[in-house]
Amino acid sequence: MNVYLSMLIGFLLVNNYVMCQFFGICPFLGVSKKFDTALGMGMAVTFVITLASFITWLIQYYLLTPFNLGYLQTIAFILVIAVLVQVVENALKKLSFSLYQALGVYLPLITTNCVVLAVAINNITDGWNLLEATFSGCCSALGFTLALLLLACIRERLELSNMPKWMQGSPGALITAGLMAISFMGFGGLI
Amino acid sequence: MHKKQNFLSVFLNGLIVENPTFVLMLGMCPTLGITTQAMNGVGMGLATTFVLVFSNLFISLLRNIIPDKVRIPSYIVIIASFVTLIDLMMQAFLPDLRASLGTYIPLITVNCIIFARAESFAAKNPPILSIADGLGMGLGFTVSITLLSCIRELFGSGTIFGLQMMPEAYQPMAVMNQVPGGFITLGLMMILVNFIRLAIQNKNSRKEAAA
Amino acid sequence: MQKKLIITSSPHIRDGVTTRRIMQEVCLALAPAGIAGIVLFGVSAAKLIAISVLSCVLFEYLYQKLTNQKIAVGDWSAVVTGLLLAYNLPANAPVWIPIIGGAIAMILVKGIFGGLGSNFMNPALTARAVMFVSWGTIMGSYPATNYMVDATSSATPLSVLANGGTVSISQLLIGNIPGVLGETCKIAIILGGLYLILRGIIDWKIPVCFIGTVFLLYLCKDGFQMAVCEILSGALMLGAFFMATDYVTSPVSNLGRIIMGVGCGILLFVIRAFANYPEGCSFAILFMNVMTPLIDRFTVPKIFGEVKKHA
Repeated sequence: MNVYLSMLIGFLLVNNYVMCQFFGICPFLGVSKKFDTALGMGMAVTFVITLASFITWLIQYYLLTPFNLGYLQTIAFILVIAVLVQVVENALKKLSFSLYQALGVYLPLITTNCVVLAVAINNITDGWNLLEATFSGCCSALGFTLALLLLACIRERLELSNMPKWMQGSPGALITAGLMAISFMGFGGLI
Repeated sequence: MHKKQNFLSVFLNGLIVENPTFVLMLGMCPTLGITTQAMNGVGMGLATTFVLVFSNLFISLLRNIIPDKVRIPSYIVIIASFVTLIDLMMQAFLPDLRASLGTYIPLITVNCIIFARAESFAAKNPPILSIADGLGMGLGFTVSITLLSCIRELFGSGTIFGLQMMPEAYQPMAVMNQVPGGFITLGLMMILVNFIRLAIQNKNSRKEAAA
Repeated sequence: MQKKLIITSSPHIRDGVTTRRIMQEVCLALAPAGIAGIVLFGVSAAKLIAISVLSCVLFEYLYQKLTNQKIAVGDWSAVVTGLLLAYNLPANAPVWIPIIGGAIAMILVKGIFGGLGSNFMNPALTARAVMFVSWGTIMGSYPATNYMVDATSSATPLSVLANGGTVSISQLLIGNIPGVLGETCKIAIILGGLYLILRGIIDWKIPVCFIGTVFLLYLCKDGFQMAVCEILSGALMLGAFFMATDYVTSPVSNLGRIIMGVGCGILLFVIRAFANYPEGCSFAILFMNVMTPLIDRFTVPKIFGEVKKHA
């Protein structure tokens, strides 16, 4: 099967970073109360991860590998991500204020979203080329967004139901996420 | 009303009152990701504690030197350095544990517990108290995820720390070792925490009503 | 927090008599498949059905009793869940399987979210999926029926088809094939499904779109003969008529229901044809259950009187 198609299906459904691999759980639980915030967060994350995948790949193969600095990978990558988030925030503020207003509040939170770092590291571990790495970043982020939107929709609906008091908040969100994860398990072995 | 803080009170605050897993809900990814074996829980917890204590100490020492504008990148570099240190140490001395924890070790860097404590505690408090906070939070995290992983290992494999606990006839419930089991087990534990919290609230409000 | 007006998600008709009547009709429609299962697989099937129904009713009662809620066991919904759960078990499953399944379905999936109307996934199917993932060897080994010539073979039609073999359509229709206890006899299930559609209990759109999509996809892939075999195999019929149509966990609007049916069909085809599991019916429906709030969000008709926002 085409590597790009299998990547898309893989990161959306089969190896979804949130539902099948436990990455990015904090923002997944934290910003899934409302659909609109979830959408904003998803867009911001997609933007940053795609860009970060591209840049960290270049750093790995043009800086770390040639100079034998592989052990600095974590420090280098997280620094790139932190700087990138800052740059994106400032650039958006100058270039497109409306987009900045839509995504701005979520940007600082992305630094500590472990999907970003996990994708950057896994791109190198899996040995993708530059285009594949960027595409895999984009697909992983879309997978994150899908999970986030699904949970947000369900939680908005649960708000209206008469859940007992001790279920409201985090227990409800966690058990909902667990039941969602069951429905993702059927895709095992698809790619 | 500002309560006087000493080493013990800060330590206990991290361990119980503001337990990072059950009260603050921080660091959820490793909490759910590696808790299929009790041993993983202990290893992950101690590695995180190590990073937390040292990053808290250094950030607290440097709190008056780091300019406010570049504090986030500075914190990240400090944290990432200690993570790299423990990662290399584990690769050298505990390769099996390192292999079973996988990507989650470099990801301690973005564990929001460490970030949150750097920002909200170490940046404002003297070094000794920051060490206490790091120890308390780290051990609170360790205890919580070890508890979670004991439950998951018990039902998912019938063992705790690799020792057979369930009778021979028990059929291990494989789902506990997978993603849904992690979410649901933690969710059920949070229900218990909520029960306790509601009970304390009720008791307090009854006391106030009586007074 | 004092709620004067309790707003709940659909179905809004919370009238006990109405829910009860609907659930009783569903039980009636499920009866032929159960009887066929008992005839085909013998006493063990009857035992599993009884235990499953009893444990579902009991767990719902106990949960509502313990949490000081109004006891709503009389609405028969627990009986329907129990029947559906039992129909998804292999006839030789040990007795603790339906008991654990009942607890998962009634407490974890339905009870703690607020009872009937608040669960976002089908309780019976979720319980089945959890157990399938946990105890694959028990849930995934199917005994032969009492009337099969080759009683030692327990390969299901789906695994025979997947390995390039052929199965007889007449055997598929009567249900003289290995499988879970309530899904083998297709005639009984289709009769029950048609009864529900004619009585207006379920909407024809979801089952028709679901089965139609699977048929078309297999028609393109393997031709007519295989397509007929595929739609008559596995849990497709039971799922399409009785589980995908669950009021609580399927979309409200007509367009939403068509999306639900087609989506289930595509997912089932993809899982059957390419994934690890031989049968994807329950996972396909569960995934669409999870999608339902999202589908509803984009397909629910404009609220009357709402002013369109200018972009």
